[in-house]
Amino acid sequence: MTARNLLEAPLESPLRIVSIAGGEGVRRRLFSLGLNVGDRIALAGRGILRGPLLIKHLDLGITIAVGRGIAQKIMAEAADERG
Amino acid sequence: MNAAESPVVIFVGQPNCGKSTLFNAIAGPKAQTSNFPGTTVKHTHSLVNIEGRMLNIIDLPGTYSLHPADPAEKVALTHLFSEKPDAVINVLDASILGRSLELTLELLEMDLPMVVALNMTDLAEKKGVSIDARALSERLGVPVIPTIAAHGRGVKELLDAVFDCLEAGCRGSRPRWSKSVEQAIETLIHSLPEDLPCVATPRFTAIQMIESGSLFCSDYMKDIAPEFHGRLEDIRSGLAAERDMPAYEVLAAERHHLAQKLFEETSRVTRRLRRGWGERLDDILLHPWLGYPVLVLVLVSFFFLIFKIGGPLETLLLKPFASLRLVLEARLDSGMLFHLADGVLQGIGGGVAIVLPYFLPLLVFMALLEDVGYLARAGFLLDTFMHRIGLHGKSVSPFILGFGCNVPAVVATRILESRRDRILTSLLIPFIPCSARTTIVLALVAYFLGPWWALGFYVFNILLVALLGRVLTCFFRASSPGLILEIPSLKAPALKNVLLKVYVQLKSFVRFAWPLLIGGSIVLGLIQSLHWDAVINSVLAPLVAGALGLPRELGVTLVFGFLRKELSLLMMLQALGVGYKDLLTVISREQMIVFTVFVSFFIPCLSTFAILWKEVGRRIAFLSAALSVTVAVMVSVLVRILL
Repeated sequence: MTARNLLEAPLESPLRIVSIAGGEGVRRRLFSLGLNVGDRIALAGRGILRGPLLIKHLDLGITIAVGRGIAQKIMAEAADERG
Repeated sequence: MNAAESPVVIFVGQPNCGKSTLFNAIAGPKAQTSNFPGTTVKHTHSLVNIEGRMLNIIDLPGTYSLHPADPAEKVALTHLFSEKPDAVINVLDASILGRSLELTLELLEMDLPMVVALNMTDLAEKKGVSIDARALSERLGVPVIPTIAAHGRGVKELLDAVFDCLEAGCRGSRPRWSKSVEQAIETLIHSLPEDLPCVATPRFTAIQMIESGSLFCSDYMKDIAPEFHGRLEDIRSGLAAERDMPAYEVLAAERHHLAQKLFEETSRVTRRLRRGWGERLDDILLHPWLGYPVLVLVLVSFFFLIFKIGGPLETLLLKPFASLRLVLEARLDSGMLFHLADGVLQGIGGGVAIVLPYFLPLLVFMALLEDVGYLARAGFLLDTFMHRIGLHGKSVSPFILGFGCNVPAVVATRILESRRDRILTSLLIPFIPCSARTTIVLALVAYFLGPWWALGFYVFNILLVALLGRVLTCFFRASSPGLILEIPSLKAPALKNVLLKVYVQLKSFVRFAWPLLIGGSIVLGLIQSLHWDAVINSVLAPLVAGALGLPRELGVTLVFGFLRKELSLLMMLQALGVGYKDLLTVISREQMIVFTVFVSFFIPCLSTFAILWKEVGRRIAFLSAALSVTVAVMVSVLVRILL
């Protein structure tokens, strides 16, 4: 599967972060919260009415909510189920 | 030994790592804890005596990194420098060790004596992660003590390690970066001007500069050492060209890999992550549709519970004070002595019988919401609506805290990254009905007109905040960076934490607010006996009687509402000269609603005004006051016309 942004990613299937675009502030905040290129994540939920997305970090077990503008800048591809 | 002579020990850790709970276990009920990233936005000092040895311990706001990006992180970094700690206790969340260690690696570069508290080891075990503390200690070069702060486990061992560290020293081994990064660091260390005013080790300073560019010591670099600034930019761009990514990302990625490696070398994953009760509950709480009815149900049921507990309690407690007032009336004439005694009675009685019955349950429920971790979930659910008023979900937590008290809510805006979001949120917070205003709404509107009227008032209030946000956004157009919010795991509420929080807030009410209520009531008694109230009332009559249609005697009570909002309510009884139960004999239901609306919005109370001044500046504080008065007059007149 080719990489696509998180807005277009399916729910609940394991993904691997390929790249994170955006300004320095946003990228650094995502890095420090534990979202790094190469990490395994899954989309755990989408808010209604163009609301935010819930990203589950599959190795750390943490959940992070990000707005749609930011989710659009995170590119991910399908990850191996076994990690 | 006093505070100045005692060793200073600073607690540093990422948000939600149990740092404040650990601090509380050592310091007693001083630090506030909650289950929301960035709650300890103020730092807390405490001088503790541990078996005859004194320690000056300081709890800093949780910080994900030492990069000074948002105001809360700046506080952490500034204090690490200014307090000159004798030792640092780095608290790690063992259940997310890989991420927690990234901050540890940054701290190790500061070369301060350090002890690591490997906290929440029980949660890590539940997640199937087993950590070898000894192996971790060997690699970091500092003592690593497993703790479970919520149960007080490991606290004694941690303190023993801290005392050993203070006596024998315990500086860790510095992280090993790749060759190119080490080279960049070394080159920069040798170029650092000798008179650099930034207080840190040259190595830490160099790393921060490569990572943060001009954010670190920016004033110095741009104004005083432009040549050095140029050299730094050369080093940063050289590193970026070599690795094909910005310099800050080179360091962030390497630190991430170092932390991951440490985690893999010292931990064993015994089984895959399992879904616990919290995750199953989250399926409902964070559900795109079910989440909203649950949110409304939680808030409405809290409202009714507070009213159902507070109402009967108020009726019960008012009786003895009403009888006492009759005795006073019979014994004393209506001279100065009566007015003063009446002032004391109204102040004390109002605090006990009218304020506390609603205030206490509200405190308990706010503490529960925070401790369980529901605030972040509300932030996720409401983000989309917050966008409609130009903000995002991270402002929800300060707003909800505002229902308790506006002062900590304004301080909590420090978790917002952009100044524009902070100002906008701070301007809206004074319109959130705090516990003082809830007391007025429940004691007047709900008590005399019924709880549905009071609930209607809240719905109206929230709509007003939304409308104001929409209007204010037109003046603050800069775009907001968007929501990035960690949703902490749900926790069963710890009774100890909830009680501690209620105790701290109650103590602050008894110490600061209640004397103000009693003092205000006495001053009103004095003013009445000297008949000065007539002067104030006639000055305010065009507004109070003319525009708002209220009894002109209420003018003086509005002036005092600036000190504490409940004071207006207590003084209302005093000014109208009736007992609480007979209130409807002197004012109508409509007047009661207009009075509540006006008092709720007309000006931020003194404490809120002061904290606005301190946090977002004098201009915004005055703007907030002007906005409140304008909105209060407009809305009250509108309500009067509509009723």
